[in-house]
Amino acid sequence: MQEFSEASDAQLVTSIGRYSEVALAEVYRRHGGAVYGLARRVLNNATEAEDVTQEVFLRLWNQPDRYDPVRGSLRSFLLAQSHARAVDAIRSLNSRRVRETNEAVKTARAEYDMQHEVWDLTVTHHVAQALGELPEEERRAIELAYFEGHTYVQVAQILNQPEGTVKSRIRNGMQRMRSVLVEAGVQEVE
Amino acid sequence: MMTHEEASELLAALALDAVDSAEREQIEAHVAQCPRCQSELDSLREVASAMGNSVAALPEGLWSSISTRIYEDQNGETPPSELILGGLSESTRSLRAMSSRRARTLVSSFSALAAAAIVVLAFSLASANGHVSRLNSALNRSANNVVQAALLTPGRKLVNLKSSAQVELAQFVLLPDGRGYLVKSNMPALSSNETYQLWGVINGTPISIGLMGDSPNQVGFTVSGGPTPSSLDVTVEPAGGTQMPTSPVVASGAA
Repeated sequence: MQEFSEASDAQLVTSIGRYSEVALAEVYRRHGGAVYGLARRVLNNATEAEDVTQEVFLRLWNQPDRYDPVRGSLRSFLLAQSHARAVDAIRSLNSRRVRETNEAVKTARAEYDMQHEVWDLTVTHHVAQALGELPEEERRAIELAYFEGHTYVQVAQILNQPEGTVKSRIRNGMQRMRSVLVEAGVQEVE
Repeated sequence: MMTHEEASELLAALALDAVDSAEREQIEAHVAQCPRCQSELDSLREVASAMGNSVAALPEGLWSSISTRIYEDQNGETPPSELILGGLSESTRSLRAMSSRRARTLVSSFSALAAAAIVVLAFSLASANGHVSRLNSALNRSANNVVQAALLTPGRKLVNLKSSAQVELAQFVLLPDGRGYLVKSNMPALSSNETYQLWGVINGTPISIGLMGDSPNQVGFTVSGGPTPSSLDVTVEPAGGTQMPTSPVVASGAA
């Protein structure tokens, strides 16, 4: 008898398409912490991060067919949703909120199994390493864009650099990170 | 229309959500017709997601909020106050109604109560889903073993489901740990556009356990936490199932 806890992410999404809330709960158990963690990091606000997390999982419930396993992992898909919503929330505000103190992101405690926790920690380690190895100007541009929700135009203004330069730095930095992650075995070769 | 060069220069920024909405639309319009850019964007999004891959502790009550909104969307009301689902146990709270609704009928997600009730349909999926029909023989063999083992388990309970004329149509075995299996069925085969649907009755309310297919053979489920159903009911529903019974109970038995 196959338990949902043993099902692949793609099988879970198929079950969600059949209205299995238990499958959604299992996806939440596996990836909810990451979705919430990213939203919280970008928003620096726990309540808004909860709202984003809700929206991400409700969207998966309502539109499971939007996830295409051929195009990437479910974790990546959900994180992209979480990030996009968090950024939308930031940009919809007239002025930036006073942010809560950014609590250190905790390591995996989402009731997920040890194997996946170790994997998460491995990815986190390699990403931190890859970011750290980037030239300072590339790393700064990427961090301002990704973790603080700025457009590359805004990043250019913040760094007082031409837009084209920032665009190139983001591009080069992302490609460099991809190479490092592929080499480390935490990202598939395209 | 953005050129390929213009779009490809901005793919990394798009993967970081670092473009404005107008640029996003233009890039996405190009990507939709450019497999190379689509592949590059997917790859860069994986990199972006890897950066965001830290895992935070989930806030207490967040799953309940999600589940409650699903429930409200389906039922337009607030569910009972306790939700136990797949090992998650949280108190529910009232939330705003969802604006969008999934248009199809719903099978097994009566969130709060379904939580109390069930849902591992490994065997029934084989009959409900033609894609896995080739697995049937293997499933049959393992299912028979599982059912035989269940019948020998101390504390197991047999539930006989009978028609209103007291004809026995199905028998389930329920285990103390919440698992349940179909032992035998005399239910006639239905047309392919119909399915038998199994319900657990909790506090007088039928909660969908899942679909049994049009010709029930192997069915397994798990009752995870919460109150135990007082009875099991079976109805005939359109293929795909329904959120609530839409037809009279064809078989019922006290659990």
